[in-house]
Amino acid sequence: MAGKSGREINAVPQNSVKQKILSWEGGLVIIFVAVLILGAVISPTYNFFSVFREMPKYLCEIFMMFAMGYILIIAEIDISVGAIVCLAATLGCFAGNAGAPLAGVIAVCIGVGFLAGCLNGVILTHFTELPSMIVTLGTQIIFRGIAEVSLGSGGSVSMSNSKIIMPLATMVGPFPLVFFFVAIAAVIFIFSLSRTTFGRKLYAVGSNHTAAHYAGIPVQKIRMICFVLIGTMAGVCALFYLSTTFGANTTTGQGYEMDVIAMCVFGGIATTGGKGNLIGATIAGFTIVCLRIALGQRNINTQLILVIIGLLLIISVLIPRISEVLGNRKRRAVQG
Amino acid sequence: MKRKVVSTMLCAAMAAGLLAGCGSGSSSSAASSASSASSAETTEAVASGSGEAVKSGSTAAAGTADASGHTYAIVTKSAGNPYNEREASGFKDTIEALGGTCIVQNPEQATADAQISVINSLISQKVDSIAVAANDANALSAVLQQAMDAGIKVMTLDSDVEASSRMVFCNQAGVKEVGQALIDAVYDITGGEGEYAILSATSQATNQNSWIDAMKSIAESDDKYSELVLDEVAYGDDEPQKSTDQTQALLQKYPNLKVICSPTTVGISAAAKVLQDQNSSVKLTGLGLPSEMKEYIGDDDSHSCPYMFLWNPIDLGKLAAYTSVALVNGQITGAEGDTFEAGDMENSPYTVTKNADGATEIILGPPYKFDPSNIDEWAEVY
Repeated sequence: MAGKSGREINAVPQNSVKQKILSWEGGLVIIFVAVLILGAVISPTYNFFSVFREMPKYLCEIFMMFAMGYILIIAEIDISVGAIVCLAATLGCFAGNAGAPLAGVIAVCIGVGFLAGCLNGVILTHFTELPSMIVTLGTQIIFRGIAEVSLGSGGSVSMSNSKIIMPLATMVGPFPLVFFFVAIAAVIFIFSLSRTTFGRKLYAVGSNHTAAHYAGIPVQKIRMICFVLIGTMAGVCALFYLSTTFGANTTTGQGYEMDVIAMCVFGGIATTGGKGNLIGATIAGFTIVCLRIALGQRNINTQLILVIIGLLLIISVLIPRISEVLGNRKRRAVQG
Repeated sequence: MKRKVVSTMLCAAMAAGLLAGCGSGSSSSAASSASSASSAETTEAVASGSGEAVKSGSTAAAGTADASGHTYAIVTKSAGNPYNEREASGFKDTIEALGGTCIVQNPEQATADAQISVINSLISQKVDSIAVAANDANALSAVLQQAMDAGIKVMTLDSDVEASSRMVFCNQAGVKEVGQALIDAVYDITGGEGEYAILSATSQATNQNSWIDAMKSIAESDDKYSELVLDEVAYGDDEPQKSTDQTQALLQKYPNLKVICSPTTVGISAAAKVLQDQNSSVKLTGLGLPSEMKEYIGDDDSHSCPYMFLWNPIDLGKLAAYTSVALVNGQITGAEGDTFEAGDMENSPYTVTKNADGATEIILGPPYKFDPSNIDEWAEVY
């Protein structure tokens, strides 16, 4: 505090940002526990077993949330993921109906997601001046369009032999199988973001894209990897989606992109890039899932649930603003 | 220095928060199980209490049916569908009159996907029965099977699922009866020959498809209908705007079109508005809600629809309620030949029959015709 050098002054706000993020996660844990208690209070049937039994339907979105975290941290956005889920689930379902075994369905779903991610990545890394919001808006329409064309005027397909996909819907004790896959994905994504050079490069690209480039970070390669990654995770999401609904239709995956962005933002990841981490997003994701299950068991109508989650999101983005304003006022008061 | 103190305090507060969070987290499971036990008791007590109160009043009217102490759920196709809302209200009123607890669930979208979440939640709540108006014939199988494995009585109404994943289906009208009524209406309005088109909901809607198939097979099997030409089956997805667009597309594509038959309430009202606004010579018939179709039904050229059909969705909801109660009481199992009393309903007692595919169903009755003579009266009912 004594020195007048720029370095030290810079160090102070950095420290406070770190504090804020840390306390953000602490706050999330408290909210998460509050949601669990709320669930138990409002619904007599809300318990460990019923929550895990209902979870698979919601968990498939969490896969995409991890990759969306990366995308937001490098200051990009991908709104085509819902459409990728629709396309991958549709084609996966067709593959199953054409007689493909489980491995075939898995390959089709993940393959479609991978290719869709590649398309996004190739466009964005070859025409670097294009904003990712617009490009993925375009590809979203294309992917959903292809899905609708292949679905035909019927607009829906269902697995004629749902036994193919059943192994993915099994329960291991009280836990659904998909929960373990989410846990593995969580460990990998969180570890690579916080403990590897790749993760640090993501923050560098997100904080200052040009500076990162001059520092020798392969910015375009990083962007490509992130978009391929989120496409692939959308494929994984589609696979587990199929294992809970045994079919796809034109509304499949609608709004998923917004759901996962909401989870990330609620988890403290800034859409402006370079800030936040996946631990917060993971807690936020599970908080939203558990809240949905709790409200569902209370038979609160589904439209109202959407309103509540929307409110939660708005409040969560407002809190840092409010504390910032309060902080400024206090600082001014101290100075004055 | 001050800042350091503040940050230390923040950390301490956070750690305390975390600890508190963990503490309450571990104790919450115990608390929740205790609270679950107590609140389960209270709901039961309330339900049986109110059940007794109502039972004494309604035994005479309702015959042997008694719903007290049980919870019955109905899952509609989606929120904001007036036809479904009437079904649900008929169901709810009947269940409550019989002394039971009723849960009405309207999914956020008209998809199987949205229904699966809702049904999963009902399984967690350990309801006694679930009645579903299915958005997809296959996609709900696994979750309904799970519900039956959990000891919940599962039935469908309005739109069916695979026969193996429910116990019985409450059919608003026999498929053949509806198909016959619709094709006869087309025959009558076209004057026996000419082009017609069908405006349906979504192409996976089970009931829509079976009615359309019945119309087609009746038209093929009888020479009387040989002069009728079906131009196209269009799908408006039960969305007003898409149904409007599809109607306009039909008018443009087929200049010789005489009649549009729309066996869905959303489709028919959208088409009626288009035809009447454009003063088109094309006429309309199908299945529609009287309150929504009131201003379009008339015999003269200024009205687009001479007459249409529907059954009473409130009655269908009532029948579903009596069926649920009979299933929960063990009075019926959904096997062919089972008979049960349905209070003061017109066709009571009802019998479980088998349809052409060998699936068990309970038929409400033939479709009811709405024409200029009775539309005003019915428009006030629903």
